[in-house]
Amino acid sequence: MDRSPVIVTEGLTKYYGHLAALEGLSVEVRRGEVFGLLGPNGSGKTTAIRLLLGMLRPTAGWAKVGGFDVWRDSLEVRRQVSYLPGEIRMYQSMTGYQMLKLLSDLRDGVGLDRAVAIGERVMELDLGRKIRAFSTGMKQKLALAQVFSDPVDTLILDEPTSALDPSARGLVLDLVRDARSAGQSVIFSGHVLSEVEQVADRVAIMRKGRLMHLEDMHERKRARMLLLRFQVGATVEVPAMLELHPRDQTDGVLLFEHQGALKPLLEWLAAAPVDDVAIGVEDLQSLYDRFHGPGALVSEHGA
Amino acid sequence: MRGFVTLVSKHIHESRWMLVLSAASLFGLGWLFVFVTSRSELEILKMLASDDDSGRAQWMRNMGMADSPNSLSIMMAFWNHPLIILTLSLWAINRGSSAVAAEVERGTMDMVLSRPISRSGYLATQVLYAVVGLALLASALVVGAAVGVHYNALREPPSAWSLIKPALNLTALGLSIYGYTLLASACDQVRWRPSSIGSVLTLGGFIAYVVSMIPVLQNQSWRPYLEKISIFKAYNPVELVTTGESLARNVSILAGIGAACILLAFVVFNRRDLPTNA
Repeated sequence: MDRSPVIVTEGLTKYYGHLAALEGLSVEVRRGEVFGLLGPNGSGKTTAIRLLLGMLRPTAGWAKVGGFDVWRDSLEVRRQVSYLPGEIRMYQSMTGYQMLKLLSDLRDGVGLDRAVAIGERVMELDLGRKIRAFSTGMKQKLALAQVFSDPVDTLILDEPTSALDPSARGLVLDLVRDARSAGQSVIFSGHVLSEVEQVADRVAIMRKGRLMHLEDMHERKRARMLLLRFQVGATVEVPAMLELHPRDQTDGVLLFEHQGALKPLLEWLAAAPVDDVAIGVEDLQSLYDRFHGPGALVSEHGA
Repeated sequence: MRGFVTLVSKHIHESRWMLVLSAASLFGLGWLFVFVTSRSELEILKMLASDDDSGRAQWMRNMGMADSPNSLSIMMAFWNHPLIILTLSLWAINRGSSAVAAEVERGTMDMVLSRPISRSGYLATQVLYAVVGLALLASALVVGAAVGVHYNALREPPSAWSLIKPALNLTALGLSIYGYTLLASACDQVRWRPSSIGSVLTLGGFIAYVVSMIPVLQNQSWRPYLEKISIFKAYNPVELVTTGESLARNVSILAGIGAACILLAFVVFNRRDLPTNA
């Protein structure tokens, strides 16, 4: 699959007066990639998304989607992008079907059949009901049905599962995987780390309008975390060829990150003065907490 | 083109009842004022022809009515009635404020403009629908009056054609009100503010015009200024059906204000940020 970048931002910045909502965002999202956007409220995720859609004008820097400038060629950009807003607002007097038809007609009438099929069969919605009778979750399902049926290169999902029940969340994650398989790029902004972890190829962690960290989730899944308790008084030297990198130390217990081969590590462990060992993988929460946890010690200058 | 038609249909779907009820009201008012003219024509003529210099007669002369007015000019004096102005203004202010600010406020602007619809295209659908609505409302008044003429006896029954000029003037007045409300809406993200601005400007202009016509204030030095600041100075249906000289000037002024504000609204809307409804 062609892995060329579909979205490119360079120094993308948005100020409201003196307040920096987004500062110097430089990232690339590749074709067929699920790109997770993480960060607390006010970290700049939604601002970045709205800049990509041409709803906000950059104060500095630029962004391109499919080679089109997001502000100057916003119309072309929106031909290639389908967007799910964080807060779904619809015309209350319309039925679910009328809403899907309206959204489809605003894209030259494409995707209606698929949207109806997803809405009725996958999301189990009664499209004959008025929107005003829909719950928040049902409105989100309706909007998702439309987004996943748009024949576009890029999907931008702002908190796509926020109002959904657990089974519907699973369906959404499946639809995201299907979209990736079909070669669509997906920006997945969310607060539920476990969901982002399940589908994202790469993850950007934002804080106060800055990109703090960019993580390749495939490399991350290859990494092991080792907790080692050495014998009291033992002197330990870790060979560099093991690719064992110290991360933390608490009460005589050392935390290492390991990305190298397994066999040399096990051989070394067998000979090392180790009292106890635990091997596992680090979840996304641990990474996230490095930047947003209670003891987060992070540079304000970002990645 | 399909998106354009879809959006116009959406606007119609949203405000069809307001349009229908407003048109019905104006149709009824058009008829009613013919009926009133028919019933009181002789009394009005007597009052204007007498030497009576009471406030009421002088007021009517100030509105452009001559001492020997025909049926049409008496009828046109009623076209200044606040109910007509109110119905038209409600439509203009409602459509102007809902075009941008209300859509941003309720969050539906995100949904529409995340689709491949240009901002100019979106606003053009709003302007088109509002202006066609204004023309329909003025037409409803004309049709109501024309039907009323058919069923009520007037000294000199006017032709339907003679009602076109004042209807055009009324449409231009509505365009002006719509224009400044739309401009306020294009800058804003909550509906109450452009609605208030549109209402205050319209009501203020109407009050200024009415005060400038009060007979006892005619000699006040500030009266001409009060008259000039009001857009209602350029709405004079009685004069239009008597001499007709001011049609081009009045319509140009009102449509000019409306068009300039609409143009500015396009510029502002194309350049502004669209924030989230939160």
